[in-house]
Amino acid sequence: MQTSAHALELVEVEKQFGPVRAVDNVSFSVEKGEFFALLGPSGSGKTTLLRIIAGLESAGKGSVHIGGRDVTRKPPYARGIGMVFQDFLLFPHKTVGENISFPLKMKKMPAARQKEQLDWVLELVRMKGFEDRFPNQLSGGQKQRVALARGLVARPDILLLDEPLANLDRELRKEMEVEMRRFQAEIDIPFVYVTHNQEEALTLSNRVAVMKDGRFEQVGDKLELYEAPATAFVASFLGLNNTIVGQVTAQEGGLSTIDWKGIRLPVPTPEGVGVGDSVQYYLRSEKMHIGPLEDTPEGADATRLAARLRDIIFKGQYSDYFVIVENGEEMVISDVPDIKGITIGDQVAVSWLPEDGFAFAAKGDR
Amino acid sequence: MAAQLRLTRRDLKAMALSLPGALFLLFFLFLPLVTIVIYSFWRSENYTMIADWNLDNYITLLTTRTYLTFIFRSLVMSLSVSFICLVYSWPVAYFIARYGGRYRLILVLLTAAPFFTGIILRVTAMQQILGPIGVLNMFLTNMGLAPLKLLMYTNYATALGLVYLWIPFMVLAIYLSLLTFDFKLLDAAMINGAGPLRAFIEVTWPLNWIGTCIGLALVFIPTFAATITPKFLGGVNGALYGNILAHQFGATGTWALGSAMGVVLFAISSLFVYIIFKTVNLNRAGYTGKLDGE
Repeated sequence: MQTSAHALELVEVEKQFGPVRAVDNVSFSVEKGEFFALLGPSGSGKTTLLRIIAGLESAGKGSVHIGGRDVTRKPPYARGIGMVFQDFLLFPHKTVGENISFPLKMKKMPAARQKEQLDWVLELVRMKGFEDRFPNQLSGGQKQRVALARGLVARPDILLLDEPLANLDRELRKEMEVEMRRFQAEIDIPFVYVTHNQEEALTLSNRVAVMKDGRFEQVGDKLELYEAPATAFVASFLGLNNTIVGQVTAQEGGLSTIDWKGIRLPVPTPEGVGVGDSVQYYLRSEKMHIGPLEDTPEGADATRLAARLRDIIFKGQYSDYFVIVENGEEMVISDVPDIKGITIGDQVAVSWLPEDGFAFAAKGDR
Repeated sequence: MAAQLRLTRRDLKAMALSLPGALFLLFFLFLPLVTIVIYSFWRSENYTMIADWNLDNYITLLTTRTYLTFIFRSLVMSLSVSFICLVYSWPVAYFIARYGGRYRLILVLLTAAPFFTGIILRVTAMQQILGPIGVLNMFLTNMGLAPLKLLMYTNYATALGLVYLWIPFMVLAIYLSLLTFDFKLLDAAMINGAGPLRAFIEVTWPLNWIGTCIGLALVFIPTFAATITPKFLGGVNGALYGNILAHQFGATGTWALGSAMGVVLFAISSLFVYIIFKTVNLNRAGYTGKLDGE
């Protein structure tokens, strides 16, 4: 098996906690310079997987390779990694400078070189002048920067990040997202980033793995995942979706007609689905349009439903429109904020192209 | 002016709440201490106190070789007992705090269990084990070996007894400190290249130093004042400062000298506590490893 080329490679890693298989036969690799996101709901095993990479948890089966070395049996301190934790875990009794220099001190690096590295990383995270402060004198965003600096200062083979932005407020999170991309671009160290926040994963990373029940549902380029989800779970997890479940009543060409609680809709035919089968159809809110009822449809292929506008939530560059369609179900449409001629309570028309949604054969578990 | 001096309801409430604590200090610390200090400058003759002010007691105490020897002996005893308790208690407290899980409380109570029996009983029990006809030496002689002279009415036996008496205090102090310690900081240390020992030295030890100091004070002070333990386990030649002090208030009836000895005892204990807590840098104590969000 060749492993030398990858910055990080996991081969058939498994981890069992009692009856629960937290990580189930996971294999993947991360290349130098990549920003890789592990995305999944809580309990999907993503944090356990990260801790296995870090060596804080042992792999039950399989192997972990970092920079071409097999580190499966190595303790965390012999793996040459950096890590940023959700609650930062700065040493409260050490100054910012001491916190950041800690990995260098452990490596017994000469003082002059330590100073050099410290200056470089303080510059990178824009925390110059804060060396002598203690962590409790810092704001949340500053703690975050110090945690990042500590993770990067020794130029590890790989930086692991465990929900690093989860404890920051929205404003700061946006700022740190930009910063984090900048650090990563500047230093060429691969980042492996765990999050339950799809927006974060899509904003920050190049590649995303969506995890569920300890397994990878799909791994790939983030656009590919967003535009061509391989499973119903991935389709439902990414983006703001309308979930439509119905039974196939007819099939023609590539399209199946499903019966959604009394409304008949054309959807792309999922593989292996015939008349009578149940289908889950995920429709992204931003792929849909809304307008006055009397408007003519844009294209002949578009699906068009009459609905009553229940609420409009203004989001700035767009608005979310909540409508009730004729079968009593609610749908959400993201469209331009200022659509002439519609107000709350109006009868409106919503439309979309059938192939803009993702259809899957409905499984028992959903 | 008048407005500034007016007391609000809140102030009155706070003052009322401070009263029990203040009264406690007044009656159980301040007044006895003042009495002892005053007596220490008096003179005792034929079992009565005579109020002519002088420094004779202190001069006797600090120039007589015997008294100095006892001070020194007790100092060595207190330092060694504190140190042994420290070394023994850390692993115990660490184990309970980190791995005790839901049995933590029970385990801590178990370390304190010997206290339920009272000091005399505990020391007597030690005597039954260590003494000439105690379990240990009986066993040795039955095996055809020589009895352990080292542990028969010696200062070593006293030390062992004192360690046994005060270990629960030390365990409790360290345990309580470790309860507020965020063990996840050790993950951070390990990731950043520190082995287990290094992580302990760099993170666990400094962040629990205040708790450890409290433990040291809780052991040092009663050891320096110990009377019962050296009496039972140390035998005739194993007397410590506390025994000599107690003697002044008993057989010899030299209350004034005894009071001076009490003042010296208090001074040495205070000095020890002062030196120990001088090493605490509150900035660097962290006290809790957890970071509170502002």
